[in-house]
Amino acid sequence: MGQNGAGKTTTIKLLSGLSTPTQGQVFVDGMDLSSESGKIKQILGLVPQDSGFYDERTALSHMIYYGRLKGLSKKESVEQSRVLLDQVGLGNEIFKRVGYFSHGMKTRLGIAQALLNNPKVLILDEPTNGLDPVGIRQIRQILRECNNKGITVFLSSHNLLEIQEICTHVGILDKGKLIAESAIEKIRHLESNGVITVGVYNLSSEMISLIESLEFVVKTELKAEHTLDIYVNSGIDFKPEINRLIVESGGKVFKLIENSLSLEDAFFDATGIKF
Amino acid sequence: MNFSEIRIIGEDEILRGSKSKYVCFFGGIFIFFCFLAMRFSTYISFLFSNSGGIPYILISYIVVLSIGPFMTLISSFDIVSSETETGSVRYILSKVQRSSFILGKFFFLFLVFMSASSGIALISLIYQYSTGNAFQFESIILFWISSSLYLGCFIGIFLFISTLSANNKISFTMSVVFLGILIFFILQGNESYLKYITPFFYGIKNMEFMKGFPVGAGYLTAFESLFSMFLYILVFLSMSLLAIKRRDL
Repeated sequence: MGQNGAGKTTTIKLLSGLSTPTQGQVFVDGMDLSSESGKIKQILGLVPQDSGFYDERTALSHMIYYGRLKGLSKKESVEQSRVLLDQVGLGNEIFKRVGYFSHGMKTRLGIAQALLNNPKVLILDEPTNGLDPVGIRQIRQILRECNNKGITVFLSSHNLLEIQEICTHVGILDKGKLIAESAIEKIRHLESNGVITVGVYNLSSEMISLIESLEFVVKTELKAEHTLDIYVNSGIDFKPEINRLIVESGGKVFKLIENSLSLEDAFFDATGIKF
Repeated sequence: MNFSEIRIIGEDEILRGSKSKYVCFFGGIFIFFCFLAMRFSTYISFLFSNSGGIPYILISYIVVLSIGPFMTLISSFDIVSSETETGSVRYILSKVQRSSFILGKFFFLFLVFMSASSGIALISLIYQYSTGNAFQFESIILFWISSSLYLGCFIGIFLFISTLSANNKISFTMSVVFLGILIFFILQGNESYLKYITPFFYGIKNMEFMKGFPVGAGYLTAFESLFSMFLYILVFLSMSLLAIKRRDL
Protein backbone atom coordinates (compact mmCIF):
# COMPACT_ATOMS: atom_id res chain seq x y z
CA MET A 1 0.00 0.00 0.00
CA GLY A 2 1.06 3.56 -0.49
CA GLN A 3 0.02 6.97 -1.67
CA ASN A 4 -0.47 7.87 -5.32
CA GLY A 5 2.98 7.97 -6.87
CA ALA A 6 4.57 5.91 -4.09
CA GLY A 7 5.72 3.25 -6.58
CA LYS A 8 3.05 0.55 -6.32
CA THR A 9 2.42 0.20 -10.05
CA THR A 10 6.14 0.45 -10.81
CA THR A 11 6.80 -2.41 -8.37
CA ILE A 12 4.15 -4.54 -10.06
CA LYS A 13 5.50 -3.70 -13.51
CA LEU A 14 8.97 -4.72 -12.39
CA LEU A 15 7.71 -7.98 -10.91
CA SER A 16 5.78 -8.88 -14.05
CA GLY A 17 8.53 -7.85 -16.47
CA LEU A 18 6.64 -4.90 -17.97
CA SER A 19 9.44 -2.59 -16.84
CA THR A 20 13.14 -3.27 -16.66
CA PRO A 21 14.93 -2.33 -13.44
CA THR A 22 17.70 0.25 -13.84
CA GLN A 23 19.48 -1.39 -10.92
CA GLY A 24 18.95 -4.27 -8.54
CA GLN A 25 17.39 -7.68 -9.07
CA VAL A 26 13.84 -8.97 -9.09
CA PHE A 27 13.07 -12.45 -7.76
CA VAL A 28 9.73 -14.20 -8.08
CA ASP A 29 9.36 -17.57 -6.36
CA GLY A 30 13.14 -17.70 -6.00
CA MET A 31 13.76 -17.14 -9.72
CA ASP A 32 15.73 -14.21 -11.08
CA LEU A 33 13.60 -12.23 -13.51
CA SER A 34 16.58 -11.19 -15.63
CA SER A 35 17.59 -14.77 -16.44
CA GLU A 36 14.38 -16.78 -15.95
CA SER A 37 11.67 -14.45 -17.18
CA GLY A 38 10.13 -17.18 -19.34
CA LYS A 39 9.67 -19.50 -16.35
CA ILE A 40 8.38 -16.66 -14.18
CA LYS A 41 5.79 -15.73 -16.80
CA GLN A 42 4.46 -19.27 -16.63
CA ILE A 43 3.82 -19.17 -12.88
CA LEU A 44 2.56 -15.62 -12.75
CA GLY A 45 -0.89 -14.20 -13.46
CA LEU A 46 -1.14 -10.44 -13.92
CA VAL A 47 -4.15 -8.13 -13.73
CA PRO A 48 -2.73 -4.75 -14.73
CA GLN A 49 -4.33 -1.42 -13.91
CA ASP A 50 -6.63 0.20 -16.51
CA SER A 51 -5.78 -2.29 -19.17
CA GLY A 52 -8.08 -2.86 -22.06
CA PHE A 53 -9.32 -5.79 -24.03
CA TYR A 54 -10.24 -5.94 -27.70
CA ASP A 55 -13.79 -4.59 -27.74
CA GLU A 56 -14.90 -6.59 -30.77
CA ARG A 57 -13.81 -9.95 -29.38
CA THR A 58 -15.75 -12.17 -27.02
CA ALA A 59 -14.70 -13.09 -23.50
CA LEU A 60 -14.07 -16.69 -24.57
CA SER A 61 -11.99 -15.63 -27.57
CA HIS A 62 -9.76 -13.54 -25.28
CA MET A 63 -9.39 -16.39 -22.86
CA ILE A 64 -8.47 -18.91 -25.56
CA TYR A 65 -5.85 -16.55 -26.98
CA TYR A 66 -4.29 -15.82 -23.60
CA GLY A 67 -4.47 -19.47 -22.63
CA ARG A 68 -2.52 -20.46 -25.72
CA LEU A 69 0.04 -17.74 -24.98
CA LYS A 70 0.40 -19.31 -21.54
CA GLY A 71 1.34 -22.58 -23.14
CA LEU A 72 -2.00 -24.40 -23.12
CA SER A 73 -3.25 -26.35 -26.12
CA LYS A 74 -6.38 -25.04 -27.80
CA LYS A 75 -8.51 -27.77 -26.20
CA GLU A 76 -7.08 -27.16 -22.73
CA SER A 77 -7.47 -23.45 -23.25
CA VAL A 78 -11.17 -23.76 -24.09
CA GLU A 79 -11.81 -26.08 -21.13
CA GLN A 80 -10.00 -23.89 -18.60
CA SER A 81 -11.55 -20.71 -20.01
CA ARG A 82 -15.07 -22.00 -19.50
CA VAL A 83 -14.34 -23.08 -15.92
CA LEU A 84 -12.59 -19.82 -15.00
CA LEU A 85 -15.20 -17.57 -16.60
CA ASP A 86 -17.82 -19.47 -14.67
CA GLN A 87 -15.76 -19.06 -11.49
CA VAL A 88 -15.60 -15.27 -11.85
CA GLY A 89 -19.30 -15.04 -12.61
CA LEU A 90 -19.04 -14.55 -16.37
CA GLY A 91 -20.27 -18.02 -17.28
CA ASN A 92 -23.30 -16.63 -19.09
CA GLU A 93 -21.34 -13.96 -20.93
CA ILE A 94 -18.70 -16.03 -22.67
CA PHE A 95 -19.95 -15.22 -26.17
CA LYS A 96 -20.63 -11.56 -25.40
CA ARG A 97 -18.32 -8.97 -26.95
CA VAL A 98 -16.09 -7.34 -24.36
CA GLY A 99 -17.06 -3.90 -25.72
CA TYR A 100 -20.43 -4.41 -24.03
CA PHE A 101 -18.88 -5.35 -20.68
CA SER A 102 -19.05 -3.08 -17.61
CA HIS A 103 -15.89 -2.05 -15.79
CA GLY A 104 -16.50 -4.69 -13.13
CA MET A 105 -17.00 -7.42 -15.73
CA LYS A 106 -13.76 -6.42 -17.45
CA THR A 107 -11.93 -6.63 -14.12
CA ARG A 108 -13.35 -10.11 -13.54
CA LEU A 109 -12.33 -11.11 -17.06
CA GLY A 110 -8.87 -9.75 -16.23
CA ILE A 111 -8.71 -11.97 -13.17
CA ALA A 112 -9.97 -14.97 -15.14
CA GLN A 113 -7.26 -14.59 -17.80
CA ALA A 114 -4.63 -14.22 -15.07
CA LEU A 115 -5.73 -17.53 -13.56
CA LEU A 116 -5.14 -19.48 -16.79
CA ASN A 117 -2.69 -22.37 -16.48
CA ASN A 118 -2.90 -22.34 -12.66
CA PRO A 119 -0.45 -19.60 -11.66
CA LYS A 120 1.37 -19.76 -8.34
CA VAL A 121 1.32 -16.00 -7.94
CA LEU A 122 -1.53 -13.67 -8.87
CA ILE A 123 -0.56 -10.00 -9.12
CA LEU A 124 -3.24 -7.34 -9.23
CA ASP A 125 -2.75 -3.60 -9.58
CA GLU A 126 -5.53 -1.77 -7.73
CA PRO A 127 -8.19 -4.29 -8.78
CA THR A 128 -11.13 -2.57 -7.15
CA ASN A 129 -10.43 0.89 -8.56
CA GLY A 130 -13.57 2.44 -9.97
CA LEU A 131 -15.84 -0.45 -8.99
CA ASP A 132 -19.19 -0.12 -7.24
CA PRO A 133 -19.67 -1.73 -3.79
CA VAL A 134 -21.14 -4.90 -5.31
CA GLY A 135 -18.22 -5.19 -7.73
CA ILE A 136 -15.71 -4.64 -4.92
CA ARG A 137 -17.31 -7.39 -2.83
CA GLN A 138 -17.31 -9.79 -5.81
CA ILE A 139 -13.61 -9.16 -6.46
CA ARG A 140 -12.77 -9.67 -2.78
CA GLN A 141 -14.67 -12.95 -2.80
CA ILE A 142 -12.81 -14.14 -5.92
CA LEU A 143 -9.45 -13.21 -4.39
CA ARG A 144 -10.25 -15.06 -1.17
CA GLU A 145 -11.17 -18.15 -3.21
CA CYS A 146 -7.88 -17.90 -5.12
CA ASN A 147 -5.98 -17.68 -1.85
CA ASN A 148 -7.88 -20.67 -0.45
CA LYS A 149 -6.69 -22.65 -3.47
CA GLY A 150 -3.11 -21.89 -2.53
CA ILE A 151 -2.41 -19.03 -4.92
CA THR A 152 -0.32 -16.20 -3.50
CA VAL A 153 -2.29 -13.03 -4.14
CA PHE A 154 -0.17 -9.89 -4.39
CA LEU A 155 -2.18 -6.72 -4.78
CA SER A 156 -1.55 -3.03 -4.63
CA SER A 157 -4.03 -0.54 -3.30
CA HIS A 158 -4.34 2.78 -1.60
CA ASN A 159 -7.66 1.68 -0.16
CA LEU A 160 -6.63 0.81 3.40
CA LEU A 161 -10.02 -0.61 4.32
CA GLU A 162 -9.76 -3.06 1.46
CA ILE A 163 -6.27 -4.12 2.50
CA GLN A 164 -7.42 -4.55 6.10
CA GLU A 165 -10.27 -6.78 4.86
CA ILE A 166 -8.39 -9.17 2.61
CA CYS A 167 -4.64 -9.06 3.20
CA THR A 168 -2.56 -11.09 5.62
CA HIS A 169 0.74 -9.32 4.92
CA VAL A 170 1.29 -5.68 4.12
CA GLY A 171 4.15 -3.61 2.74
CA ILE A 172 4.09 0.17 2.91
CA LEU A 173 5.72 2.05 0.04
CA ASP A 174 6.66 5.67 0.35
CA LYS A 175 8.48 7.66 -2.36
CA GLY A 176 9.69 4.47 -4.00
CA LYS A 177 10.99 2.87 -0.78
CA LEU A 178 9.57 -0.04 1.16
CA ILE A 179 9.40 1.52 4.60
CA ALA A 180 7.56 -1.29 6.38
CA GLU A 181 6.68 -4.89 5.61
CA SER A 182 5.07 -7.37 7.91
CA ALA A 183 1.98 -9.38 8.83
CA ILE A 184 -1.01 -7.06 8.95
CA GLU A 185 -1.51 -7.47 12.70
CA LYS A 186 2.12 -6.60 13.32
CA ILE A 187 2.10 -3.60 11.02
CA ARG A 188 -0.90 -2.18 12.79
CA HIS A 189 1.36 -1.94 15.83
CA LEU A 190 4.41 -0.84 13.98
CA GLU A 191 5.41 1.97 16.29
CA SER A 192 3.33 1.01 19.26
CA ASN A 193 1.38 -2.00 20.36
CA GLY A 194 -1.71 -0.01 21.09
CA VAL A 195 -3.28 3.22 22.16
CA ILE A 196 -4.69 3.95 25.57
CA THR A 197 -7.20 6.76 25.62
CA VAL A 198 -7.56 8.48 28.97
CA GLY A 199 -10.14 11.05 29.99
CA VAL A 200 -8.73 13.23 32.84
CA TYR A 201 -10.06 16.26 34.65
CA ASN A 202 -7.29 18.71 35.62
CA LEU A 203 -5.06 17.45 32.77
CA SER A 204 -1.85 19.49 32.92
CA SER A 205 1.32 19.64 30.80
CA GLU A 206 3.34 18.38 33.79
CA MET A 207 1.09 15.36 33.95
CA ILE A 208 1.64 14.71 30.21
CA SER A 209 5.41 15.02 30.66
CA LEU A 210 5.29 12.49 33.50
CA ILE A 211 3.32 10.05 31.35
CA GLU A 212 5.75 10.52 28.42
CA SER A 213 8.67 9.76 30.74
CA LEU A 214 7.33 6.25 31.32
CA GLU A 215 9.50 3.62 29.68
CA PHE A 216 6.73 1.89 27.71
CA VAL A 217 5.16 5.11 26.34
CA VAL A 218 6.08 5.91 22.72
CA LYS A 219 4.25 9.21 22.44
CA THR A 220 1.14 11.06 23.51
CA GLU A 221 -1.44 13.05 21.56
CA LEU A 222 -3.83 15.54 23.10
CA LYS A 223 -7.18 14.78 21.44
CA ALA A 224 -9.40 17.21 23.36
CA GLU A 225 -9.23 19.37 26.49
CA HIS A 226 -9.59 16.36 28.78
CA THR A 227 -8.67 13.48 26.45
CA LEU A 228 -5.19 12.12 25.83
CA ASP A 229 -4.09 9.27 23.54
CA ILE A 230 -1.10 7.37 24.92
CA TYR A 231 0.80 5.14 22.45
CA VAL A 232 2.44 2.21 24.20
CA ASN A 233 5.02 -0.21 22.82
CA SER A 234 4.30 -3.44 24.60
CA GLY A 235 1.43 -5.88 24.77
CA ILE A 236 1.29 -5.74 28.61
CA ASP A 237 -1.69 -4.06 30.25
CA PHE A 238 -0.37 -0.68 31.42
CA LYS A 239 -3.76 0.79 32.32
CA PRO A 240 -3.35 0.39 36.13
CA GLU A 241 0.07 2.05 36.10
CA ILE A 242 -1.12 4.97 34.00
CA ASN A 243 -4.17 5.36 36.21
CA ARG A 244 -1.97 5.39 39.35
CA LEU A 245 0.41 8.00 37.92
CA ILE A 246 -2.43 10.35 36.93
CA VAL A 247 -4.19 10.03 40.29
CA GLU A 248 -0.88 10.58 42.18
CA SER A 249 -0.29 13.77 40.21
CA GLY A 250 -3.71 15.13 41.14
CA GLY A 251 -5.76 14.17 38.08
CA LYS A 252 -9.24 12.68 38.11
CA VAL A 253 -9.62 9.83 35.62
CA PHE A 254 -13.13 9.49 34.15
CA LYS A 255 -12.23 7.29 31.13
CA LEU A 256 -9.52 4.72 30.44
CA ILE A 257 -9.85 2.70 27.25
CA GLU A 258 -7.32 0.58 25.34
CA ASN A 259 -7.64 0.77 21.52
CA SER A 260 -5.86 -1.11 18.79
CA LEU A 261 -4.34 1.00 15.99
CA SER A 262 -6.18 0.99 12.68
CA LEU A 263 -4.23 0.29 9.51
CA GLU A 264 -4.78 3.92 8.62
CA ASP A 265 -3.07 5.04 11.83
CA ALA A 266 -0.23 2.59 11.17
CA PHE A 267 0.13 3.93 7.64
CA PHE A 268 0.34 7.54 8.79
CA ASP A 269 2.71 6.52 11.58
CA ALA A 270 5.00 4.73 9.15
CA THR A 271 5.01 7.40 6.46
CA GLY A 272 5.23 10.20 8.99
CA ILE A 273 2.48 12.15 7.25
CA LYS A 274 0.84 14.66 9.58
CA PHE A 275 -2.29 16.79 9.13
CA MET B 1 13.21 -16.82 -29.26
CA ASN B 2 10.07 -18.89 -28.82
CA PHE B 3 8.63 -19.99 -32.19
CA SER B 4 5.44 -21.26 -30.61
CA GLU B 5 4.70 -17.81 -29.16
CA ILE B 6 5.50 -16.12 -32.49
CA ARG B 7 3.21 -18.55 -34.30
CA ILE B 8 0.33 -18.04 -31.84
CA ILE B 9 0.57 -14.23 -32.04
CA GLY B 10 0.80 -14.25 -35.84
CA GLU B 11 -1.91 -16.88 -36.21
CA ASP B 12 -4.26 -15.01 -33.91
CA GLU B 13 -3.71 -11.80 -35.85
CA ILE B 14 -4.59 -13.52 -39.11
CA LEU B 15 -7.58 -15.52 -37.90
CA ARG B 16 -9.16 -13.47 -35.16
CA GLY B 17 -7.19 -10.26 -34.77
CA SER B 18 -8.97 -6.92 -34.90
CA LYS B 19 -6.82 -5.86 -37.84
CA SER B 20 -6.92 -9.00 -39.90
CA LYS B 21 -10.03 -8.11 -41.90
CA TYR B 22 -8.73 -4.64 -42.71
CA VAL B 23 -5.31 -5.91 -43.68
CA CYS B 24 -6.81 -8.60 -45.87
CA PHE B 25 -9.13 -5.97 -47.36
CA PHE B 26 -6.17 -3.74 -48.26
CA GLY B 27 -4.30 -6.75 -49.61
CA GLY B 28 -7.34 -7.47 -51.79
CA ILE B 29 -7.51 -3.87 -53.01
CA PHE B 30 -3.83 -4.09 -53.82
CA ILE B 31 -4.35 -7.16 -56.00
CA PHE B 32 -7.36 -5.47 -57.59
CA PHE B 33 -5.29 -2.41 -58.55
CA CYS B 34 -2.73 -4.64 -60.20
CA PHE B 35 -5.49 -6.47 -62.02
CA LEU B 36 -6.92 -3.15 -63.26
CA ALA B 37 -3.47 -2.01 -64.40
CA MET B 38 -3.01 -5.21 -66.42
CA ARG B 39 -6.57 -5.20 -67.73
CA PHE B 40 -6.18 -1.73 -69.20
CA SER B 41 -2.51 -2.03 -70.04
CA THR B 42 -3.22 -1.88 -73.79
CA TYR B 43 -3.96 1.83 -73.33
CA ILE B 44 -0.49 2.44 -71.94
CA SER B 45 1.39 -0.02 -74.11
CA PHE B 46 3.07 2.86 -75.94
CA LEU B 47 5.09 3.42 -72.77
CA PHE B 48 6.86 0.12 -73.23
CA SER B 49 9.16 -0.37 -76.15
CA ASN B 50 9.26 -4.09 -75.61
CA SER B 51 9.10 -6.15 -78.73
CA GLY B 52 7.85 -9.17 -76.80
CA GLY B 53 4.40 -7.63 -76.16
CA ILE B 54 3.04 -5.87 -73.08
CA PRO B 55 5.27 -6.56 -70.04
CA TYR B 56 2.55 -7.51 -67.57
CA ILE B 57 5.00 -8.38 -64.82
CA LEU B 58 6.62 -4.97 -65.12
CA ILE B 59 3.22 -3.25 -64.96
CA SER B 60 2.35 -5.19 -61.79
CA TYR B 61 5.73 -4.36 -60.32
CA ILE B 62 5.25 -0.64 -60.97
CA VAL B 63 1.89 -0.82 -59.19
CA VAL B 64 3.55 -2.60 -56.26
CA LEU B 65 6.34 0.01 -56.13
CA SER B 66 3.95 2.94 -56.20
CA ILE B 67 0.93 1.79 -54.17
CA GLY B 68 2.63 -0.79 -51.93
CA PRO B 69 4.14 1.67 -49.41
CA PHE B 70 0.76 3.30 -48.83
CA MET B 71 -0.97 -0.05 -48.45
CA THR B 72 1.59 -1.21 -45.90
CA LEU B 73 1.28 2.13 -44.09
CA ILE B 74 -2.50 1.79 -43.64
CA SER B 75 -2.12 -1.82 -42.59
CA SER B 76 0.79 -1.57 -40.18
CA PHE B 77 0.94 1.88 -38.60
CA ASP B 78 -1.16 0.74 -35.61
CA ILE B 79 -0.05 -2.88 -35.33
CA VAL B 80 1.68 -2.28 -31.99
CA SER B 81 0.49 1.21 -31.03
CA SER B 82 -3.15 0.07 -30.88
CA GLU B 83 -2.15 -2.56 -28.31
CA THR B 84 -0.21 0.06 -26.35
CA GLU B 85 -3.09 2.53 -26.56
CA THR B 86 -5.68 0.08 -25.20
CA GLY B 87 -3.27 -1.50 -22.72
CA SER B 88 -3.85 -5.03 -24.06
CA VAL B 89 -0.10 -5.21 -24.63
CA ARG B 90 0.32 -5.71 -20.87
CA TYR B 91 -1.85 -8.82 -20.89
CA ILE B 92 0.18 -10.23 -23.77
CA LEU B 93 3.63 -9.29 -22.53
CA SER B 94 2.95 -10.68 -19.07
CA LYS B 95 2.73 -14.06 -20.84
CA VAL B 96 5.21 -13.99 -23.70
CA GLN B 97 8.64 -12.64 -24.54
CA ARG B 98 8.72 -9.17 -26.05
CA SER B 99 10.65 -10.42 -29.07
CA SER B 100 7.95 -13.01 -29.82
CA PHE B 101 5.33 -10.26 -29.76
CA ILE B 102 7.17 -8.10 -32.31
CA LEU B 103 8.17 -11.01 -34.55
CA GLY B 104 4.64 -12.42 -34.47
CA LYS B 105 3.22 -9.08 -35.56
CA PHE B 106 5.85 -8.66 -38.28
CA PHE B 107 5.42 -12.13 -39.75
CA PHE B 108 1.65 -11.74 -39.77
CA LEU B 109 1.87 -8.61 -41.93
CA PHE B 110 4.70 -9.98 -44.02
CA LEU B 111 2.73 -13.14 -44.72
CA VAL B 112 -0.34 -11.18 -45.78
CA PHE B 113 1.63 -8.99 -48.17
CA MET B 114 3.65 -11.93 -49.40
CA SER B 115 0.35 -13.63 -50.20
CA ALA B 116 -0.84 -10.47 -51.97
CA SER B 117 2.40 -10.49 -54.00
CA SER B 118 1.79 -14.14 -54.85
CA GLY B 119 -1.73 -13.27 -56.00
CA ILE B 120 -0.42 -10.46 -58.18
CA ALA B 121 2.31 -12.71 -59.57
CA LEU B 122 -0.29 -15.32 -60.45
CA ILE B 123 -2.52 -12.80 -62.22
CA SER B 124 0.52 -11.46 -64.14
CA LEU B 125 1.43 -15.00 -65.09
CA ILE B 126 -2.08 -15.71 -66.37
CA TYR B 127 -2.11 -12.48 -68.39
CA GLN B 128 1.35 -13.11 -69.74
CA TYR B 129 0.39 -16.63 -70.76
CA SER B 130 -3.07 -15.81 -72.16
CA THR B 131 -1.71 -13.08 -74.44
CA GLY B 132 0.84 -15.46 -75.87
CA ASN B 133 3.85 -13.67 -74.45
CA ALA B 134 7.05 -15.51 -73.72
CA PHE B 135 6.89 -17.37 -70.41
CA GLN B 136 9.40 -15.72 -68.05
CA PHE B 137 9.70 -17.93 -65.02
CA GLU B 138 12.71 -16.05 -63.61
CA SER B 139 10.91 -12.72 -63.86
CA ILE B 140 7.90 -14.04 -61.98
CA ILE B 141 10.03 -15.49 -59.20
CA LEU B 142 12.07 -12.29 -58.99
CA PHE B 143 8.86 -10.25 -59.00
CA TRP B 144 7.51 -12.28 -56.09
CA ILE B 145 10.68 -12.13 -53.99
CA SER B 146 11.42 -8.50 -54.81
CA SER B 147 7.84 -7.33 -54.13
CA SER B 148 7.69 -9.24 -50.85
CA LEU B 149 11.01 -7.85 -49.64
CA TYR B 150 10.17 -4.34 -50.84
CA LEU B 151 6.88 -4.41 -48.93
CA GLY B 152 8.67 -6.08 -46.00
CA CYS B 153 10.98 -3.04 -45.80
CA PHE B 154 8.00 -0.75 -45.34
CA ILE B 155 6.37 -3.11 -42.87
CA GLY B 156 9.64 -2.99 -40.90
CA ILE B 157 9.69 0.82 -40.95
CA PHE B 158 6.07 1.24 -39.89
CA LEU B 159 6.34 -1.51 -37.29
CA PHE B 160 9.31 0.31 -35.77
CA ILE B 161 7.39 3.60 -35.69
CA SER B 162 4.36 1.84 -34.21
CA THR B 163 6.54 0.28 -31.51
CA LEU B 164 7.87 3.69 -30.51
CA SER B 165 4.46 5.39 -30.47
CA ALA B 166 2.19 5.72 -27.47
CA ASN B 167 -0.98 5.85 -29.53
CA ASN B 168 -2.35 5.46 -33.06
CA LYS B 169 -2.47 9.18 -33.83
CA ILE B 170 1.22 9.63 -33.13
CA SER B 171 2.06 6.47 -35.02
CA PHE B 172 0.05 7.49 -38.09
CA THR B 173 1.49 11.01 -38.18
CA MET B 174 5.06 9.75 -37.74
CA SER B 175 4.57 7.08 -40.42
CA VAL B 176 3.19 9.59 -42.95
CA VAL B 177 6.03 12.02 -42.22
CA PHE B 178 8.64 9.26 -42.51
CA LEU B 179 7.19 8.03 -45.80
CA GLY B 180 7.19 11.64 -47.05
CA ILE B 181 10.86 11.98 -46.11
CA LEU B 182 11.72 8.75 -47.96
CA ILE B 183 9.85 9.95 -51.06
CA PHE B 184 11.70 13.27 -50.82
CA PHE B 185 15.04 11.42 -50.61
CA ILE B 186 14.37 9.29 -53.69
CA LEU B 187 13.23 12.36 -55.64
CA GLN B 188 16.66 13.92 -55.03
CA GLY B 189 17.87 12.02 -58.09
CA ASN B 190 20.51 9.47 -58.87
CA GLU B 191 23.37 11.69 -57.76
CA SER B 192 22.26 11.93 -54.16
CA TYR B 193 23.50 9.40 -51.61
CA LEU B 194 20.18 9.72 -49.75
CA LYS B 195 18.62 7.29 -52.20
CA TYR B 196 20.51 4.42 -50.52
CA ILE B 197 18.51 4.80 -47.32
CA THR B 198 15.18 4.35 -49.07
CA PRO B 199 13.68 0.98 -50.03
CA PHE B 200 12.47 2.66 -53.25
CA PHE B 201 16.01 2.63 -54.64
CA TYR B 202 16.43 -1.13 -54.22
CA GLY B 203 12.95 -1.80 -55.56
CA ILE B 204 13.43 0.39 -58.62
CA LYS B 205 16.78 -1.25 -59.30
CA ASN B 206 14.97 -4.53 -59.97
CA MET B 207 12.53 -3.02 -62.46
CA GLU B 208 14.83 -3.81 -65.34
CA PHE B 209 14.57 -7.53 -64.63
CA MET B 210 10.79 -7.48 -64.84
CA LYS B 211 10.92 -6.88 -68.57
CA GLY B 212 12.50 -10.26 -68.98
CA PHE B 213 15.80 -12.07 -68.80
CA PRO B 214 18.55 -11.99 -69.82
CA VAL B 215 19.54 -8.41 -69.15
CA GLY B 216 22.82 -6.59 -69.28
CA ALA B 217 23.17 -6.10 -65.55
CA GLY B 218 22.92 -9.80 -64.76
CA TYR B 219 21.78 -11.83 -61.78
CA LEU B 220 24.31 -10.39 -59.38
CA THR B 221 22.73 -6.94 -59.42
CA ALA B 222 19.33 -8.47 -58.74
CA PHE B 223 20.82 -10.46 -55.87
CA GLU B 224 22.53 -7.33 -54.50
CA SER B 225 19.33 -5.34 -54.33
CA LEU B 226 17.38 -8.27 -52.87
CA PHE B 227 20.07 -8.72 -50.23
CA SER B 228 20.03 -4.99 -49.50
CA MET B 229 16.26 -5.10 -48.95
CA PHE B 230 16.68 -8.13 -46.72
CA LEU B 231 19.26 -6.22 -44.66
CA TYR B 232 16.95 -3.22 -44.56
CA ILE B 233 14.22 -5.41 -43.03
CA LEU B 234 16.68 -6.89 -40.55
CA VAL B 235 17.84 -3.43 -39.43
CA PHE B 236 14.32 -2.13 -38.80
CA LEU B 237 13.21 -5.37 -37.19
CA SER B 238 16.22 -5.26 -34.85
CA MET B 239 15.44 -1.63 -34.01
CA SER B 240 11.83 -2.59 -33.24
CA LEU B 241 13.03 -5.41 -30.98
CA LEU B 242 15.40 -3.06 -29.22
CA ALA B 243 12.69 -0.42 -28.85
CA ILE B 244 10.17 -2.84 -27.31
CA LYS B 245 12.83 -4.33 -25.05
CA ARG B 246 13.70 -0.95 -23.57
CA ARG B 247 10.15 0.27 -23.45
CA ASP B 248 8.36 0.82 -20.15
CA LEU B 249 4.85 -0.55 -20.55
